[in-house]
Amino acid sequence: MKAGRTLVVARKEWLEIRRDRLFMALCLLVPMVLMLLFGYGLSLDVEHIPFAVVDHDDTPASRDYSARFSDSRYFDFRGRLADEGAIDRLIAANALRAVLVIPPGFGRDLGAGRAARVQTVIDGTFPVRAMTMRGYVLAINAQASADLALERARAATGADERSLAALAQPVRLETRNLYNQPLRSVWSMAPKLIMVILMIAPPFLTVLGVVREKEGGSIFNIYASTVSKAEFLVGKLLPYVAISLFNALLLFGLARWLFGAPFKGDPLCFALATAMYVACTTGIGLVISVLVRTQTAAMVVVAIVTVVPAALYSGAIIPIESLSPAAAGVAHLLPAMYYAQVATGSFLKGVGWPVLWPNLLVLAAYAALLMTVGYLLFSKRPRA
Amino acid sequence: MARAALVTAMDGSPAGAAVVNLRGLVKRYGAATAVDGVDLAVRRGRMHGLIGPDGAGKSSLMKIVAGVLAHDGGTLEVFGQAVTSERSAERVKQRIGLMPQGLGQNLYAELSVEENIDFFARLRGVDEQALAARKRQLLAMTRLERFRERPMKNLSGGMKQKLGLVCTLIHEPELIILDEPTTGVDPVSRRDFWAILDGLVDERGLTALVSTAYMDEAARFATATMMLGGRVLAEGTPAGLLAALPATVVSVRCGEQVEAQRRLGAHFRDTMLRGAWLRTVVDAAPEEPASERARRAEARVREALAGLAVEALDTAAPDLEDLFIARAAPAGAPAPLPASAPAARRAWPPGYHAIEAHGLVRQFGDFRAVDQVSFTVKPGEIFGLLGANGAGKTTVIKMLNGIQPPTAGSGSVAGADMLRAPGQIKRRIGYMSQAFSLYLDLSVRENLRLFAAIYGVPRARRAARVHELLRLCDIQGIEDMLAGDLPMGRRQRLALACALVHEPEVVFLDEPTSGVDPVGRRRFWDILFHLARAEGVALLITTHYMSEAEQCDHISLMYAGRVVADASPEQLKAELGARRGALWAFDTSAPQAAVEALRDAGFADASLYGTSVHLLDPDGATLAARVAVALAPLGIAAGPPQRRPLSMEDVFVERVLELEREAAR
Repeated sequence: MKAGRTLVVARKEWLEIRRDRLFMALCLLVPMVLMLLFGYGLSLDVEHIPFAVVDHDDTPASRDYSARFSDSRYFDFRGRLADEGAIDRLIAANALRAVLVIPPGFGRDLGAGRAARVQTVIDGTFPVRAMTMRGYVLAINAQASADLALERARAATGADERSLAALAQPVRLETRNLYNQPLRSVWSMAPKLIMVILMIAPPFLTVLGVVREKEGGSIFNIYASTVSKAEFLVGKLLPYVAISLFNALLLFGLARWLFGAPFKGDPLCFALATAMYVACTTGIGLVISVLVRTQTAAMVVVAIVTVVPAALYSGAIIPIESLSPAAAGVAHLLPAMYYAQVATGSFLKGVGWPVLWPNLLVLAAYAALLMTVGYLLFSKRPRA
Repeated sequence: MARAALVTAMDGSPAGAAVVNLRGLVKRYGAATAVDGVDLAVRRGRMHGLIGPDGAGKSSLMKIVAGVLAHDGGTLEVFGQAVTSERSAERVKQRIGLMPQGLGQNLYAELSVEENIDFFARLRGVDEQALAARKRQLLAMTRLERFRERPMKNLSGGMKQKLGLVCTLIHEPELIILDEPTTGVDPVSRRDFWAILDGLVDERGLTALVSTAYMDEAARFATATMMLGGRVLAEGTPAGLLAALPATVVSVRCGEQVEAQRRLGAHFRDTMLRGAWLRTVVDAAPEEPASERARRAEARVREALAGLAVEALDTAAPDLEDLFIARAAPAGAPAPLPASAPAARRAWPPGYHAIEAHGLVRQFGDFRAVDQVSFTVKPGEIFGLLGANGAGKTTVIKMLNGIQPPTAGSGSVAGADMLRAPGQIKRRIGYMSQAFSLYLDLSVRENLRLFAAIYGVPRARRAARVHELLRLCDIQGIEDMLAGDLPMGRRQRLALACALVHEPEVVFLDEPTSGVDPVGRRRFWDILFHLARAEGVALLITTHYMSEAEQCDHISLMYAGRVVADASPEQLKAELGARRGALWAFDTSAPQAAVEALRDAGFADASLYGTSVHLLDPDGATLAARVAVALAPLGIAAGPPQRRPLSMEDVFVERVLELEREAAR
C-alpha cells in the first residue's frame, strides 16, 4: 500500500465533498440538527402538568389542600371547574392532564377529626407519564396528611412538634441522586445522543459516497486501474472519518455547553473511544455499500441497520437490564452499547481507563472486524 | 498462440498480432445470459468495433476484457495473460485504459478538467513531469486547453467524452476500451471524436476496442463485430461484411404509398418508409451475377408494384444496417402489419395544422434553452425534431404539451391553444417518453386497461380498443406477460400502444427508439407509418439517430436552442449537394496523413471514415486529379473517388460548422 495513492484518492474525495454544497451541508448540519431536535424533544421529565380543581367544598381547608398541588413545580394550575362534567372533554382535548376533585364536606370531616376523601383524575394515555403523575399526587397527599396529623396530635396532646414528628414517622428517608443530582434527563440523554447520532450519520455519509461512485460508473476507474483495494478503501473512507470526527467534536460541544451536561471523565479516553466508534460505524457503512448497488437501497439498509439498534439495543432509552434476555444478548453483540457506556461513564460518572478499557477493546475489535469484512467483500473484478 | 502473442508484444510486435483473445466467452447475470459463447480476437494497432443495440452484450464483454468484471465461462487472454482471477487481471491493467459507458458518468462532476486528468494520472502512478507534458499534448489535441479550469459538470456532451478520452489515455495504455463513446453526442462532436481517435490509433499504434449503437458508425472500424443477444452476428472489415450480403436496395417514390408498402412487404423481407420514398432490400437469387443484380432487383420491384404509378426509382448498394437486419432476422421477421379496418379519417379544414409553434422561447436564468422556435406539422405528417442532448428538444415538447409555460411565443396543438387550453391539449395528444412510462409489474393487458381508464376511454369502448391496439402494435399473444419481462422492442411497442389508447390526433414521441435494436426499430416505424398514413395522426418524434431522421416527412434541426434547418430530408440533402457538391469517398495508402494534406490543400471537410477519406466536392470530373496533386508531395496514392449518397449527418454537420464559423466571425 502506497501512502501517495491513498492520498490521491482521499484528496479527490475531499474536493468532491467540499464542492457539492448540498452534500457538505448534509454532512455538517444533520448531526447537529438531530442533536438539537432530540435534545429538546426527547426530554423525559414530567413537569408543569396542566391541572384543574373541582372544589365542591370551597372551605379554607379544601383551598389549603389544593394549593399544595398548584404551588408545586410539577403542576400548572389552569383554573377551577364548576363540576365533574367537563373533565372528560378537557382531558381528551389535552387541555388538562390531571384534575383534583374535592367533595362537599371535606373541611367539615377534617374539622371533626374524620378521614376526608378526595379524588384525582389522571390522563393515562402514556403509562410512564401517568405513573410519574401518580407518584407526585401520592407524595403531595402524603405530605398533606402528615402535616394534618401532626397538627391534630399537637392540638390533642400539646406535645412539642419534634417528638410528635418522630412518633408519626419513625424512619425518615433522605435520597441523593448520584451523578445527576437534579435528575435532569437531558444530562443523561446528551451523551447517549452522541452515541445514537454517531451510529447513524457516518454510515449514511459513507454509503452515499461509495455507492454514488458505483451508481454513476466512476468506480470502474478504480477497478480498471492498478490502485490496490486497501489504497482505495482507506483513501475513500478517510475524508468521511474526518468529517465524522469533526461532528463528534461538535456534538460534544453541544452536549457540554448547550445542554449543560457535566463532563467529569478522562478526555483522552473518551476521544479515543469516539474515534474507534466512528471507525466502527463507518465500517458498517462500508460493508453495506459493498453489498448494495443503488443509493436508495443503501439508505434504506442503513436506516434499518443503524437506527433500530442505536435506539433500542444500546441502553439509550431502555436500560439494558430491562431488556429481555434475548434482546440484551443482541445489545451485547452490537457496538452501540459499549460506546453508550463509555459516553455515560465519561460524562456523568467521571470514570476513565480503569473501568472503560474493556469497552475500548471491544470497539477496536469491532472496527477491525468490519473493515476486514468490507475489504474482503470488495472486489475490483466483481461478478455483477 | 497466447505465448506467441506475448513474445511478439514484448519485442515490438508486428501489427496484427492478437492483443485480446476470447474463446467461447460466457457471462450470466442470474438467469439471464449477457454474453453467450463469443470468440473474438482484437489485433494490435487496429480499431476494432463492437456494433449492436442495448443488451447485445457489448458492455459486459468490454468490462470483462478490461478485467473489471468476472466471466462465467470460456477463456480470455489479454496481452498473452490468461485472465482468470482478480490477481491475474491486475497484471495487465496498467497496459489498458477503460472508458465506461455514459456521458461523463465516470468523470467527477465537481472536479475541473485539469483535476480530473490529474486524478486519473496519479491513480495510475504517472510521475508529475510526464503528467504535465502529456496533459499539455492531449489537451491541445482535443482542443480542451481553454477549459482547464472549468468544472466537468459544465462541459457539453462532446467535451465530456473528449475529456473521458484524455483521462483514459493519460497513463499511455497500449489498449483502450471505449464503451459507446459517441452515444447521445451531437454529430459534429461525434465526427470530431472519431477524428481524434483515428489520429491516436494511427500515430501511437494504439489498439482500440470501441462499441457503438449507431449502425452507420460501423464503417469507421478496421474490423467490425456485430452483436445481438450476446452472440456474434457477423464479423469482418466493413467492405468484407457488405460483400457478404448479395442484395440491392431499391427506393421507390409512389403516389399510393400505403398500397405500395403492403405489396412490397408481401414480396420482400425488409421494406421501410423514408419520407415520400419506400426503401426495399431485394435479396439476389443464389447464382445471380453481381453485375445483373441491380437491374433484376429493379425489375422485381416494378413487377410487384404493377398497376401503381411509380414516380421515381433508385437502386443502391445495401449498408451495414441492412446486413445487421438480414443477419438478425433472416426469416424476414417483421410480418406485414395486420390490415386494420381503415379508421374513418377525420376531416380537417384546409390549412389546418395539427401542431403550430410560433417564436417559442424558454429562458432558464441566464440560459436560453429554446430560442425563437417555429414550425408547423400537418395531420398525417411524421415530423422529426433533431438535435444532440441539450439542444432544447425536450423543452419544446414540454411547452407544446402545456407542461412548461414558454417565456415568449405561442402555439397550438390539436386545435387547442397552448397558453389558454393546456388541459384540452393533454386530452387530445398521446405522449410516449424516452423512459417508456409503463408499470413494469403489470401485465401488457393491465397496462393498457390502466391507461385507458386514466385517459377516460368510455368503459364500453375499452375492451375493443385494447384489442385493436394489441393488433396494431403487434403485441398479441403476450397479453399476460409482465411489462418488465418484455424485451426492449416489445416494451417500446407497448408504450406506444399506451400512448394511443384515447385515439389522439397528435402523438409526441421523445426518443422512443433509444436502445432498441434495428429490427425492432423498423417494426416500430411500420406502426408509425400506419398511424400517419392510414389514420391521419400527426407525429412529432425526437431522435439522435441521424439515420432515423431520413424516415421523417419533414424535420427541424435544433442546435443550441435554435432551429437551424427546416425542410424534408430530401430537400435538405439536395440543398447541401447544390451548395457544396456531392460526397466522395476514396481509399488511400495512408488515410490519416492524406486527410491532413487534403485539408491543407483546401478540402476543408476532408475527414477520415474508417479506412477511407470522405469529402464534399462539386466537381467530380476533376476531383481525382486535384486529389492526386494534393497528395503527390507526400507520396500517397489515392484510389478513384466514388460517389456516396449524402446523409442527414452530413447535413447536420455542415450546418452546425457553418453556424460556428459565422459565430466566430
